[in-house]
Amino acid sequence: MLWFLRGLRKGVVTTRYPRERDAWTDGLPSPPAFRSDLLTPTLAGRLVDACHSGALRLEGDELVLDLGSCGGCGDCVRLGGEAVYRSGEFELASRDREALVKRIPLGGAG
Amino acid sequence: MNDELRLAGELRERIDGLFGRSLHIRTFDSGSCAVCESELRLLSSPYYDLHRLGLFFTPAPRHADLLLVTGAAVRAADAALRKTLEAIPEPRLVVAVGACALGGVFEEDELVHGRVDDVVPVDVYIPGCPPSPLALLHGLLVATGRLEEKVQALSFDLRREAVA
Amino acid sequence: MDGTLVARIAETELESVVAGLGEHGARFADLFGTPEDGGVTGRLVYGLDDEQRYLVVETPLADRGHPPISDLEPAAFVEECELFEQVGIRPSGDRPLNRILMPPHAEHAFPLLGGGSRSAVPRELHAPHHVRGEAFEFPFGPVRVAGWESLYMGLVTTGEEVLDLYLFHWHKHRGVERRLQGLQPERGLFLVERTDGLSAVALSLAYCRAIEVAGGVEPPRPAASTRIVALELERIYNHAQSVALLCQTTGLSVGQAQAEIALEQLLRVNLAAFGHRYLFGVAALGGVRRGPEADAIRRLLPAAVDELRRAVQALLRTNSHVDRLEACGTVPGETARRLGLVGPVARASAIDLDARRDHPWPGWHEAAPEVAVRDGGDALARMEVMVAEVEEAQRLVLEQLPAAGAGTVDIPRGPGTGLGWAESPRGETLAYVSLDEGGRLARVRLRPAPVRNWRAFDDAARARNVFTDIPIIEASFWQTVAGFAR
Repeated sequence: MLWFLRGLRKGVVTTRYPRERDAWTDGLPSPPAFRSDLLTPTLAGRLVDACHSGALRLEGDELVLDLGSCGGCGDCVRLGGEAVYRSGEFELASRDREALVKRIPLGGAG
Repeated sequence: MNDELRLAGELRERIDGLFGRSLHIRTFDSGSCAVCESELRLLSSPYYDLHRLGLFFTPAPRHADLLLVTGAAVRAADAALRKTLEAIPEPRLVVAVGACALGGVFEEDELVHGRVDDVVPVDVYIPGCPPSPLALLHGLLVATGRLEEKVQALSFDLRREAVA
Repeated sequence: MDGTLVARIAETELESVVAGLGEHGARFADLFGTPEDGGVTGRLVYGLDDEQRYLVVETPLADRGHPPISDLEPAAFVEECELFEQVGIRPSGDRPLNRILMPPHAEHAFPLLGGGSRSAVPRELHAPHHVRGEAFEFPFGPVRVAGWESLYMGLVTTGEEVLDLYLFHWHKHRGVERRLQGLQPERGLFLVERTDGLSAVALSLAYCRAIEVAGGVEPPRPAASTRIVALELERIYNHAQSVALLCQTTGLSVGQAQAEIALEQLLRVNLAAFGHRYLFGVAALGGVRRGPEADAIRRLLPAAVDELRRAVQALLRTNSHVDRLEACGTVPGETARRLGLVGPVARASAIDLDARRDHPWPGWHEAAPEVAVRDGGDALARMEVMVAEVEEAQRLVLEQLPAAGAGTVDIPRGPGTGLGWAESPRGETLAYVSLDEGGRLARVRLRPAPVRNWRAFDDAARARNVFTDIPIIEASFWQTVAGFAR
């Protein structure tokens, strides 16, 4: 009886996802997004070195972001200044592993 | 080739139809840090309640439709992982969960594959470290064809989005 | 090395030193080997808890060059087996060694740390047991209930009663200590956090402390307070998990739901406070990466803890739950002491040991926590200890909040060694580092609490329990396989 009453008093706490997105999820870790026009090769190199999860690498004149390997730690965001932002995305599931690999063209001088 | 595409499409529809109702999930830990498991357990908690979406955990692979794999695919767990998958009757789905399972964090070496799709074929990949229960729900609903993928359309290049 | 004492001895002195330390009440805490200087150096870590110091005994080791340490110090058995797997050093005599980390068919990876001495590989053994009457043995795992870590249990039973139980953890051995070799300390931190994620704060802080000690620095005062806040938040959510799992195993689904509500709220407190539900990314070398969002903690934490408190109070008044926990999985105090247990498992068996009080960090001196001790030794006593710790942890968080901030101190890069520690939710967690000329990690030893505590599990399961009690005992122990297998 005790448990039944407690349960009733609590009300419904269940998320309405996927119909609604809960506000608290804005704070969840998420992969970086880039201002490619501000992404210099030098900065990109530093970001790659800073990524401990192996999610960033340089290929020619592109910065390759592997969302599958990204841990959302935010080190690249902290390092990247104006060029790197939190994307805020966490609904990243995909049937295609390659679809999780994003290519960001390098822009800017240096 | 066209026949193949047609058959693949039909299989896809059949899977979506079958899984559109209820889906039983068998989890497998191939060497995680235990945090992905924590988020998985919370799927049956009141805040997320996967039952309302017709999703259920099952201890029996024979009753399962979907294998949810966490961890970096430690080689010592290969045999158990393959046996578990084999015990799940077709049609079945394999979902890899978390950065370790997707190839991040642990590189391949003598003890560890570093990615689950090195051991078993994977149908859906769910990134995160860990993926939150909502990210897990999103991934499960994508796997069952009830939600569309988002990530294909995202560019992560803010400049291009600004221009577009 | 900070307040830690280091003593170098010869291998011939090892036996008498171990015996002497035991007689003088020094607490054996760890044993590990390092391939270095063309051979292997063994290090034994002892807690001189009354003096608030650790002692590291260093000795060269040769294969079969010394009698079994675990003959004198039973708490060293698991570590002695690990020593063989990692660096190929065996004690003299015929004492059989168990497989601890190394899976079968992984002989090509032996010794796990490279170097050392290549000798015979450990046979696949489990703790010897004497099967009486019509007992049978059956395997359980590694695949288990949804959301429980992979773990293999060999169960010897007559049908109900547990005669014997042995565990294999090696399905999750990722070789972290080996992977860390050669890395820069910052990259190492990322991996250490993800070794035993439910103790990410404790293990990463023990590691950071070890590096800081090697560099002769201490974190800035605001960072020291932030570390305490994060460590205690980690303790609270882990103990909430234990309550939820206990309810799952006693079949009290409503209690489980209530505890899970509290757990989810606590994880959101973590997210609001530090940007990650499991507190990854707080620890930094020399300090912390960021301070806590104090307002969010003050606003959200008390309600979440209250949620847990009310669930626990109702549980402790529910006979069907309490009856399952009483006298279940009893670990006698003498066993706990002999096996060198730590954390709530030890404290529930009257071992008054807590690294926060006994080995205070910079900043802990003002924050001496009240340590909860019980003497029942059963699942109920363990739950009571955890519940008391939640209250104390909340008090510590709120007390440290005003002083908590961000910041790091620079660590001079170069060679050195250091021992670091933290009281994780599961008990004393140790990390030892050795840095080379370039400041890279030459050797990292990680000894999370589960390395000490899993060994008591078979004793606890054997003590007049039926095998349906095993999940309850496991939930009340609330160790991690990841922390052991690392």
